[in-house]
Amino acid sequence: MTRRDFSERDIHLALDGELPDEDRRDFEAWLEATPDMKARSLRFEADRARLREAFAGVLEERVPDRLAMRAAGEAPAPATRVARWRFAAAAAVFLALGAGGGYLAGVEAIGIEPQAEDELAEEAIAAHTIYAAEQRHAVEVGADDKDHLLAWLSKRVGLTLVAPDLAAEGFHLVGGRLLPAGQKTAGLLLYEDAGSNRISIYVTAEGDEKSKGVYKHETGGASAVYWLDDGWGCAIVGTLPQDRLVDVGRKAYRQLLAGAGMA
Amino acid sequence: MDQRRTAILAEIPRLRRYARALLRDRDSADDLVQDCLERALSRLDNWTSDENPRRWLFTIMHHLFVDQTRRTKRRAEVVMMPLEGSEAMSVPADQTESVASREIMDALQAISPDRRAALVIVGVEGFSYAEAATMLGIPAGTLMSRVARGREELRGLLDDVGRRRAIRVVER
Repeated sequence: MTRRDFSERDIHLALDGELPDEDRRDFEAWLEATPDMKARSLRFEADRARLREAFAGVLEERVPDRLAMRAAGEAPAPATRVARWRFAAAAAVFLALGAGGGYLAGVEAIGIEPQAEDELAEEAIAAHTIYAAEQRHAVEVGADDKDHLLAWLSKRVGLTLVAPDLAAEGFHLVGGRLLPAGQKTAGLLLYEDAGSNRISIYVTAEGDEKSKGVYKHETGGASAVYWLDDGWGCAIVGTLPQDRLVDVGRKAYRQLLAGAGMA
Repeated sequence: MDQRRTAILAEIPRLRRYARALLRDRDSADDLVQDCLERALSRLDNWTSDENPRRWLFTIMHHLFVDQTRRTKRRAEVVMMPLEGSEAMSVPADQTESVASREIMDALQAISPDRRAALVIVGVEGFSYAEAATMLGIPAGTLMSRVARGREELRGLLDDVGRRRAIRVVER
């Protein structure tokens, strides 16, 4: 039996050490009995820990001389100085206005620029998710017409493509298709193993970024191992265990580069 | 050295942290700290030794920040709206920041300056509601609601990012 009703407001009070001691026990009992509020409380607590952690390093930094000397009275007051922080303050206000007004959306709203590799991996995962699930329409051109498939994709994507031989890994080519990739085009090659597990190789012509890595969603599903290099964007996507995907992906990528005379 | 100067010197790391949370950019934050020190030193005689130096300095710095954001806001509404936010705002990422830190620092910049200040002063700097309300010059109820709204807004932004973003593990 709780002595008083608690609300979300109390979560903030408790977190900030402002909840009266005598309410503490009842509050904890209320949290236990209210799972969504408990989840909320834990999230806020975790955010605070992350925030503290993000700024903890500042205390360890060496104080810049200009500040220490100024405080100690060892430096003269500087002449007129247009403070940079004023610009940053302007930016801060603008950002807040923009986010509140819905001018910016999603990731961009908080200043995280989507990176080329994120986009490549996202597109590749989306394509895999859609087409690898298809039984009858997974590909536009089948493996029986491989030469035509590769000539066509190479022409449209703008890269010399080969179909990597992944037989040693247990995968054979099913076929491929052409996909939109923003303003460009991408080629998708679909492979399958004896257990009907599918992986796709997604290739597109990219800029000068250089990067490689593994990309996966927090929510699970297919992951991508990708390379951005020498104008190539290549992602191998599947639901294989990560080590295996990286291994198969690396073999495929090497063959692609070799096929284009680049390795 | 003068005892009061020593006390001020000792607070610089904390001031820098608060400024960094307000402004994100390191140089801009240190400029704000420097302006705060200038003002504090020019008013050294107003400072009585029984007044907590940290609260005194935080109050000065906070008001410098608020004056500026107010002035900017009026101008921003008229002039700055048509600009592309991501162009004007992009802060070069510090290589030493982890992805998680970068995300939350960026999200913090996207919430309103009032809420940001309240959230940081309580949540990071560890001041009580009463202390924070005095320093920010607002009623305790307003402070409390800014902290709560700020926290919710921050979480909302992080949820948005979480939905679109994924974990990227760079291959070794």
